[in-house]
Amino acid sequence: MSSTIQKSTTIEKPLIEGNQTFRSVTEKISKITETKAPKEWFLAFGMAFSLLLVLLGSVGFLIWEGTGIWGLNNPVGWGWAIVNFVFWVGIGHAGTLISAILFLLRQKWRTSINRFAEAMTIFAVICALLFPGIHVGRIWLLHWFFPIPNQMGMWPNFRSPLLWDFFAVGTYFTVSLLFWYTGLIPDLATLRDRAKGLKKKILGFFAIGWRGGNRQWQNYELAYLVLAGLSTPLVLSVHSVVSSDFATSIIPGWHTTIFPPYFVAGAIFSGFAMVMTLAIIARRFYNLEHFITVKHLERMSKVMLLTGSMVGYAYAMEFFIAWYSGNMYESFAFTNRALGNYAWAYWTMISCNVLVPQLFWFKRLRNNVAFLFVASILVNIGMWFERFVITVTSLSRDFLPSSWDYYSPTIWDILTFIGSFGLFFTLFLLFLRFLPMISIAEVKSVLPQADPHHEEDQS
Amino acid sequence: MKNNMNGKKYWRSLDEINQTPEFEQFLKNEFSEGTFDVPNGMSRRKFLSIMGASIALAGLASCRRPVEKIIPYAIAPENIVPGTPKYYSTNIPFGSESYGVIVENHEGRPTKLEGNPNHPSTLGKSNAWLQASILDMYDPDRAQSVLHNGYESKLENFATEWKSLDKDFKPSQGDGLAVFSETLNSPTYLRLKQDFLSKYPKAKWVTWDPVSDEMIHDGIRLATGRDYDPVYHYEKAKVVVSLDADFLNTETHSIRHTVDFMQGRRVNDENDSMNRLYVVENSLSVTGGIADHRYRLSHGKIGAFAAALAVELKSMGLSIPGVSELSDYKNHSFNRKWINALANDLIQNRKQSLVVAGRSQSANVHSLVFAINYALKNRGTTVEYFSSDKNNRSDTKDLRSLVVDMKNGDISTLVIFGGNPAYNTPVDLHFNEAVNKVKHTIHISSHVNETSKKSEWSIHKAHPLESWGDTITPDGTKGITQPQIQPLFGGISFIELLSSLIVADETISSGYDLTQETWKTIFGSDFTSNWRTVLHDGVYKNQLTKPANPFLSNTAMSKVFKQNSIVSSEGYEIVFKTSSSLFDGRFSNNGWLQETPDPITKLSWDNAALLSHSTAKELGVNNRDIISLKKNGYSVELPVWIMPGHADQSISVELGYGRTSSGRVGNGVGENTYALRELNALWRSDNVKISKTSKTTVLACTQDHHGLDTEKLAADAIQKRLPAIVRESTLEDYKENPNFVNEHDSAIPLVSMWDEVNYDSGPQWGMTIDLNVCTGCNACSVSCQGENNIPIVGKDQVEKGREMSWIRLDRYYSGDMDNPDMVIQPVNCQHCEMAPCEQVCPVSATTHSEDGLNSMTYNRCVGTRYCANNCPYKVRRFNFHNFTKDLPEIVQMVQNPDVTVRFRGVMEKCTFCVQRITQAKITANNEGRSIQDGEVSTACQQSCPSDAIIFGDITDPDSQISALRKQNRMYALLGEINTQPRVTYLAKLRNPNPDLKPGELS
Repeated sequence: MSSTIQKSTTIEKPLIEGNQTFRSVTEKISKITETKAPKEWFLAFGMAFSLLLVLLGSVGFLIWEGTGIWGLNNPVGWGWAIVNFVFWVGIGHAGTLISAILFLLRQKWRTSINRFAEAMTIFAVICALLFPGIHVGRIWLLHWFFPIPNQMGMWPNFRSPLLWDFFAVGTYFTVSLLFWYTGLIPDLATLRDRAKGLKKKILGFFAIGWRGGNRQWQNYELAYLVLAGLSTPLVLSVHSVVSSDFATSIIPGWHTTIFPPYFVAGAIFSGFAMVMTLAIIARRFYNLEHFITVKHLERMSKVMLLTGSMVGYAYAMEFFIAWYSGNMYESFAFTNRALGNYAWAYWTMISCNVLVPQLFWFKRLRNNVAFLFVASILVNIGMWFERFVITVTSLSRDFLPSSWDYYSPTIWDILTFIGSFGLFFTLFLLFLRFLPMISIAEVKSVLPQADPHHEEDQS
Repeated sequence: MKNNMNGKKYWRSLDEINQTPEFEQFLKNEFSEGTFDVPNGMSRRKFLSIMGASIALAGLASCRRPVEKIIPYAIAPENIVPGTPKYYSTNIPFGSESYGVIVENHEGRPTKLEGNPNHPSTLGKSNAWLQASILDMYDPDRAQSVLHNGYESKLENFATEWKSLDKDFKPSQGDGLAVFSETLNSPTYLRLKQDFLSKYPKAKWVTWDPVSDEMIHDGIRLATGRDYDPVYHYEKAKVVVSLDADFLNTETHSIRHTVDFMQGRRVNDENDSMNRLYVVENSLSVTGGIADHRYRLSHGKIGAFAAALAVELKSMGLSIPGVSELSDYKNHSFNRKWINALANDLIQNRKQSLVVAGRSQSANVHSLVFAINYALKNRGTTVEYFSSDKNNRSDTKDLRSLVVDMKNGDISTLVIFGGNPAYNTPVDLHFNEAVNKVKHTIHISSHVNETSKKSEWSIHKAHPLESWGDTITPDGTKGITQPQIQPLFGGISFIELLSSLIVADETISSGYDLTQETWKTIFGSDFTSNWRTVLHDGVYKNQLTKPANPFLSNTAMSKVFKQNSIVSSEGYEIVFKTSSSLFDGRFSNNGWLQETPDPITKLSWDNAALLSHSTAKELGVNNRDIISLKKNGYSVELPVWIMPGHADQSISVELGYGRTSSGRVGNGVGENTYALRELNALWRSDNVKISKTSKTTVLACTQDHHGLDTEKLAADAIQKRLPAIVRESTLEDYKENPNFVNEHDSAIPLVSMWDEVNYDSGPQWGMTIDLNVCTGCNACSVSCQGENNIPIVGKDQVEKGREMSWIRLDRYYSGDMDNPDMVIQPVNCQHCEMAPCEQVCPVSATTHSEDGLNSMTYNRCVGTRYCANNCPYKVRRFNFHNFTKDLPEIVQMVQNPDVTVRFRGVMEKCTFCVQRITQAKITANNEGRSIQDGEVSTACQQSCPSDAIIFGDITDPDSQISALRKQNRMYALLGEINTQPRVTYLAKLRNPNPDLKPGELS
């Protein structure tokens, strides 16, 4: 990780604060799932569950009445549903990135946040998968997306980016779920050992006989490494594929080669912002300031500064290319974004995504939790608007001016989106309640006690 | 008539029909002519074909088909093949016009109307009204029974009551009896009218229509002292001047005028010539849009313009009778150069020019126009006059005296044939009050409209497709109206009622007998075969009227102009416009027409106060603001719609909206502008008070969702891309630079990375749209709606941008806001060979067929809308709701059985009328040949009066479309993105006068 010389001259602050012992780590984290949940949890769960009911209601009405309840129209065939899909998929990126890429890069600070970042990934991808599912006109025929052999020899169209999308997100979800579950096994065993009765049996089932033996650890770590290796390309591929929904089309503003890297950067950017938001809330309510330290938050803000700048660069590059292409449709698509009827959305996006993260250059701000909280939410808003700007402005004014139209959402668009947060938070709160939100085993590995001979420093 | 006309029996079994008197008569006639002995010179083949025809016509003669639900065709009629439509000719009266049509009949159910090529008023083409009138027949809101004081009654009850009324009228010779009738040029109706008036000599008969050519007739009468109908021959005119005449769309005989006019407009190559059209008008019209020079002028000044033109013509040496009285107009304020150039052009094209004025211009203007045409020696070439009977035409003076009599209590019984006087008579006549003083009011109408509600007896009228009758045009072309179906709701026709009134013996006459009686005198002899021929052909042209030779004397004209000065008005004016959708309001309950956007404003489901940009500024109003128009205590509130090219200080309002008793579709749509229309200001009301209200409203516009000038960025972008989208040049420039269309094409070669599919072997379907002749009249769009079962979505959905039209007419303005040029571009699915939509569909619901169609498999579509997003032409339409769910059963009958009705959540778009292609393919295969050029025509092509749309096999070198595709004006819309569209466009040309610089008041 760093050279011996450097290590000996600088003494890094420990990743976990408050003189934790192996026991205190186990106690502290397991307790949350074992004792009665705090009042705040019930309050939060009640709210989240209400929103989930809103989602169920609006989806139910959607299926009953048809996509007409949304604000879509003839040029703008994709609206909030697809915006939300890309938004949630983007959020789902941070989890795997933190778990897999940072693991491979031996970034030990990840241990405190990887568990719930991964959980967040899975729940975000569930939310994401909801939208392409419900936005189609005939929901009851969704199985036609699957390449199911049939007597008519009808297959899906493998040239369609929507199909690639379907596979990419599906694969990503599967691998993320496996990765998360694998990481959970030692902790599930810990909880099992502390539990009694039915709970013990259930936890025992999912802990698949984990005893913590040497061989088990060896196999486990290998499996974890392999899965990390498998998920790493996925982090890059999922959003690249999602971006090809747009990039392979011919609509000015969509038809852009920069999209795959730009989308991936944006996804990591928004994912980290969401992890930050959730981490700040969780550490406060569960008193986990020693585990998720300001230092963790600071590192995340550095990642956001990097990806935010990449996104800003992409915005600038899009404009340059549009101008450089000399294509009037292309250049109009971009000037229209900045100055046209959706300029308000564009400038919301620019302020939140480009200007806000630039403040992370200041160390004082990086260490200001309140600021980070606000900034992370602003970034999330900005990233939602980025998808809105891309999806809607391009469609609303494409080639033939006769078809131009303005899209605005209906109450059902809004309720469905808000409702998706209900789904996300319901799942997330259940996770906080019943599973260790911080990886007990991994956190222990970064305690000073885990390396009594400072072997790592000398290696 | 009810019983002996019942064709129901015939179709159930031939035995039954054999017993009907007509059929026996038929057979008798048939045999008495000795059909079994083959007459000399008749081959066996011919004999058999005639025999076949006789059986078919025997059916026709009584062909009211059953509509009841029975097991279909258990005993099938002989000449019907289920699934194969039959085509019959008939004639549909429309105001003073009549449309000769061919009706497509599916298993006894008429589904579509097309023009009859033999008929001079349609020439095989149609317009939006004609296309939509089939839907009127299936309107579930039609009057379904006789109503007596609003309660359901029976025809017999009415007949009994009439008999008792007749007891009084017979001795009094009809004193106190009056008839109000809409114009109906039917030989039988006019014959019965004479019978009626001879039975009741003291009865009053008034003919009146809210929209009529009364002023044109009055003007000609002023000039000549006699009554003539003008018939124009635009095909012979090299220069046409329209003074507020929208002759290509809302004026009388628009179909025929479009067909004729475009003959002089169509260009094959740079060596061709084109006619030149000058339009002086108030509100931008379809005709004004295609003009080479358009002069924007308020309605009240157009007369003065005509006078100034006449004076200018005189100064160039043309002797126009009586024009010396107009010398004051020498000092006019119009653009002198424009008038000079126009006059010059007219003088140089004597005998080949034509000046026409709109029906809303005053009689004086029309007499002046008559004089100008007379002086230019256009009479006999570009315009002919046929003498006509003044008594059978709309006459406002008659209407006025009738209402005065009604108010005085002189009328005890009023019979109203059609029309809707309670809704559309001049507001200051107070017809509704007058009618209260009439003891018995009898109204026959297709709908229980505003007038029916005021009437004691409301009689349900059968649709022309359900009843027998006949029609006649000004040049004497006659035609028979033959029923296609048993009246859906019962009901009788005008002639049946009128005859029953005359007979007054408690029976209802048979329209079939009445019509035959008339035609017996028309034919003179050989009735049966003539009758059959006319039924088959749809027209009878053997007794055409000879054009008259009206004489114009200098003294007579001087007198006209002395007595009736042509006044130019000042101040704010309101101009009443015929609606291009609802006409005078009669199509109010027709969803197809309500939803079809206006050709210029693109507004659907509403009328608005159209005004110019400067006037809007002056009034401080913007689109959708509601203004109040007041005059003499009458007022109307209307939303504002800014129309580029509208004259200043002038407001145009459409008639026909704001109905209260129209039906579920038309009630409360728009505002009733008849409420402002006074007797002496039928077409224009001067010095109207206009005030802004604080209210705004929602208008459903299918285009211009963006501000026109409010958003400069968008406006600039449109102007920048327009030259590439709608390619246009002038005839002069075209001659110099025949390949001008390619100037906009990018130099980058269009290549593909892959080996693309070769579409070399025929047939490969393609379409070419000639922008030079397209007027934007909407005929194609409504025709497509009927052919392809396109749903009506309603105002709120159109407002949301979810209209379903498969072919839309894009209207763009260019140049100055006040004097813009207008272009129309029909856009349907372009059937790209490299279709972006096909690529992206995840379930392969849209694919390419071997003959080059971009097909849509509705069954397979899951509705991701990705294809629509990726369509650069935005021609794909999505069923956001289940738009056909609530379609009444009766409306379902109008649907084309060859076309799938689409469910919610499915994408749809133009199919190139694949059902017609398939039908032709099957026929050709059965006959062991390939499809001939012209055998398949799409619905839009078939109805287009301009012949702007040509469809065919592009691999056939001799096909019409191949010739068009070789023209140097051909280009592909957005061709630079390499979609390889099968629809191509021919660039638009204008033919401006070289003496008038481009842009000079264009």
